[in-house]
Amino acid sequence: MIVAAWICLVAPLAAALLITLLGTRISRLAAAYISTTSVLGAFAAAVFVFAKLWSEAPSARSHPSTAWEWLTAGSFHVGLRILVDPLSVFMMLIVTGVGFLIVAYSIGYMEGDEEERRYFAYMALFVFSMLLLVQAGNLVILLAGWGLVGLSSYLLIGFWHDRPAAVSAAKKAFIMNAVGDATMALAFFLLIQHRQTLNFPDAFAVGPGHSWLVNLVALGLLGGAVAKSAQLPLQTWLPDAMEGPTPVSALIHAATMVTAGVYLIVRTHAVFEQAPHVQELAAGLGAGTLLMAGLIALVQTDIKRVIAYSTMSQIGYMFVGAGVGAYANAEFHLLTHAFFKALLFLAAGLVIHALAGEQDIRKMGGVGRLMPVTRITFLIGSLALVGVPPFAGFFSKDPIIAATMTRGWYGYILFAAALIGTFLTGLYAFRLFLIVFPGEPSPFVREHLMRGSHAAGMEGAHAREAPGSHDHEVHEHSGEGPFSNEHSGEGPFSMTAPVLVLAVLSVVGGWIQWGPFWDPVSKWLDPVAPPLAVPTDTQEALASFFAVLLGLAGIGVAWLIYGTRRWRVPRLAFSQRVLEHKFYFDEAYYFAFYRPAVFLAKGLGRWIEGPIIGGSVRELANAVREAGLDTSRLQTGLVRTYALAIAASLAVITIVFVAVR
Amino acid sequence: MRGPDIAWYLAVAAFLFATGVLGVLLRRSPLIVLLSLEIMLNGGNLALIAFSRLHGESSGQIFALAVMAVAAAEVVVGLGLIVAIAQKRLDLDVDKLSFLRG
Repeated sequence: MIVAAWICLVAPLAAALLITLLGTRISRLAAAYISTTSVLGAFAAAVFVFAKLWSEAPSARSHPSTAWEWLTAGSFHVGLRILVDPLSVFMMLIVTGVGFLIVAYSIGYMEGDEEERRYFAYMALFVFSMLLLVQAGNLVILLAGWGLVGLSSYLLIGFWHDRPAAVSAAKKAFIMNAVGDATMALAFFLLIQHRQTLNFPDAFAVGPGHSWLVNLVALGLLGGAVAKSAQLPLQTWLPDAMEGPTPVSALIHAATMVTAGVYLIVRTHAVFEQAPHVQELAAGLGAGTLLMAGLIALVQTDIKRVIAYSTMSQIGYMFVGAGVGAYANAEFHLLTHAFFKALLFLAAGLVIHALAGEQDIRKMGGVGRLMPVTRITFLIGSLALVGVPPFAGFFSKDPIIAATMTRGWYGYILFAAALIGTFLTGLYAFRLFLIVFPGEPSPFVREHLMRGSHAAGMEGAHAREAPGSHDHEVHEHSGEGPFSNEHSGEGPFSMTAPVLVLAVLSVVGGWIQWGPFWDPVSKWLDPVAPPLAVPTDTQEALASFFAVLLGLAGIGVAWLIYGTRRWRVPRLAFSQRVLEHKFYFDEAYYFAFYRPAVFLAKGLGRWIEGPIIGGSVRELANAVREAGLDTSRLQTGLVRTYALAIAASLAVITIVFVAVR
Repeated sequence: MRGPDIAWYLAVAAFLFATGVLGVLLRRSPLIVLLSLEIMLNGGNLALIAFSRLHGESSGQIFALAVMAVAAAEVVVGLGLIVAIAQKRLDLDVDKLSFLRG
C-alpha cells in the first residue's frame, strides 16, 4: 500500500521529467499522452491505496513512511516522509481523479499550440506538487509541496508568455502567495523551536500554557491558507490568474490548488483548536470573502472571472466550515466543488474554444442553441453550484451552513452571511447562464459557430477582425493562438467526454453523503479530524430550507432580469463602480505597498546605494590602485639599489641584535 | 696546536665580507660584482671554519664545503649570463640592465 502511495506521488514527476528531457524528439501528442497516462496511473494507485485503507480498522488507518532523512540538525530531523491516512487519500483521489479528466480535456483544448509539450510537462509537475502537498508527512514536505504548487501555478498562469497581462498576473499570484509562504515558514520556526519536530501529528501538541505561541502559529498557518485559497485579504491574485489557459483555471484555480488552504486548516486542526480565536477569524474571513466575491461576480463581464469569483466564494464556505470545526463537511464541499467547478470551467472552455478565445459575455448570447451539450452541462454545474436539491452542492453546502448555528451569536452572523451568499450565488450563476446560453445567437456567435452554412474563406478572415471592438479585447483575442476557426460545434470527443463525466459527478457526487441520513465521508474523515460541532437534525433542516429557498430566489431574480427581461438591471452607479473595481483592493495595495516600496527603493538608490555602498567600493579600489603605483616605484630595476637595501637591512638587524643583547 | 685567537680570524672574515659588500655596491661591471660576491662568501667560509676549529666540531667545515659548491654553481650561472649579455652586444654595466623597473 505504501508502495502504491509512492508510485502515485512519483508517476507525475516522472512524466514531467520525461517530457522535459525528450524535448522535441517526441510529438506533441505523445507529450500529452505521457502526461495523461501518468495522472491516470496516479489515480489508479490512489484508488488502490483507498481500497486497502478501507479494509482496515478506522483507528489503524495511519501509515507514515520515510524514504530517507535529508536534514539533521542536532536533535531535529526532517525526512522525506509521507503519511497515508483517510484525509490524504481523500485529497489524493480528488487531485488525481479530477486532474486526469482535466489533463485529458487539455489534449483537445491545447491542440495546435506551439508549446504544447511545455504545457503538459507543467501540468504533470503541478499534479506531482499537489500530491506532495497532500501526502506530506511533516510540515517541511508540506511546505515544499506548497511552494511547488505555487511555482506550477506561476508557470501555467504565465504560460502564454507573449501576453503581458498573463505575465503580470503570474507575478502577482506568485508574490501574493509568497506572503502566505512566509507567514507559514515563521509558524514552522516557532514549532521547531518549541516542539523540535514537524512530523504529523506530534508537532501540533503545543500544550497548555503557551497561548501566545499557539496563537502565533495558528495565525501563520492561517496566513498561508488565506493566500493560497484567495481569501480576504490576499484574494486579488485569483481573478487575474484567469489569464492562463482554461484547463489550468479548472484544475489549479478551482478544483485543487486553491482548496489547499482548507486542507491545511483541516490537517492542522489541532493547532487551530488550541487557538479558538484564530479559528473564528478563519471562519469570519471565509464569510467575508464569500459575500464580497458573490457581489463582485454580479458585475463581471468575463466568463472566466465570474467563475473565478464564484470559486473564491465557495472556498469561503469551506473556510466557514473549517472555522466552525465541521472539518468533514468542509472537505466534502471541497470534493463536490471540485466536480462542479471543474465542470463549469471546462464547459466555459468549450464555449471559449468554439468562439476562438472570446471571453466577454457581452458578445455571447444564444450559444446554447448551437452547443446543446454544453448548455445542459453548464446548467447542471450552475444548479450544483447554487445547491438545488438533487445536485451535489446541496448535500455539501447545507451542512456547513447548519454547522454555523452551533456556535452562538458569532455563528448566527456566519449563518446570515452564508445564506446571503446563497442568494448571491443563485443570482450570479444564473445571470451568467442566462446571458450566455438561451435565446437567439448573437451576430458574433453566429459568425463563429454557423460557419458550415457560409462561404468559408471570407468568413474566416472577417471573423478574426470582428471582435476587435476595443484594445484590450484585440489583445486577448490575438493572444489565444491555438484557436483557429476550424472548429464547428462543441469540440472533439476528448473535450466533451471529461465534461460529461464531470456533469454526471456533479449530479450524483453529492449523494454519497446526506446530512443526518448517511455519512460515509464524515465517518471516513472523523478519525483524522473529529468535528467540533454536530448540528442537530432541526438545524440541518432549517439550514437546508433557507439555503434552497434563497438559492431559488436568486435564480428567480436572475430569471426576471436576464431571462424574461421583465425587470431591468438596477442602476446604482456608485455600488456598481465599487464592485467593478473589486472593492478597490488592487488600488489600496498599489498605494499601500507598491508606491511606498518604489519610493523607498528610489530613495535608497539615490542616497545609500550611490554614495555609500557604491562610493565605498570605488574609493577602496582607488586606494588600492594608488598604493600599487606607489609601491611599484620601489622597483627601480637597478641591482645595486637592491643590494644596498639588503646590506642596509642586514646592518640594521645586526645593530638591533647587538643593542638588544 | 693553538693558533691565533678566534678574534683575529673573525676580523679577517669581517674584512673580507665588507670588501665584498663594497665591491658589489660600488662596481658596475657584472664580472667584478660576481668576483666581490665570491669574496663575501669566502669571508663567511672563513668564519665558519674558525668556529668549527674553536669548538672542535666538523659540521662548520661541511657547511663551508657546501657553500663552495653553491658558489661554484652560482659562478657558472653568472658567467653564462655575462656571456649571453656580451653576445647581445649590450653594455656590461649592471646599472644599464634595468629592464625590470616598475
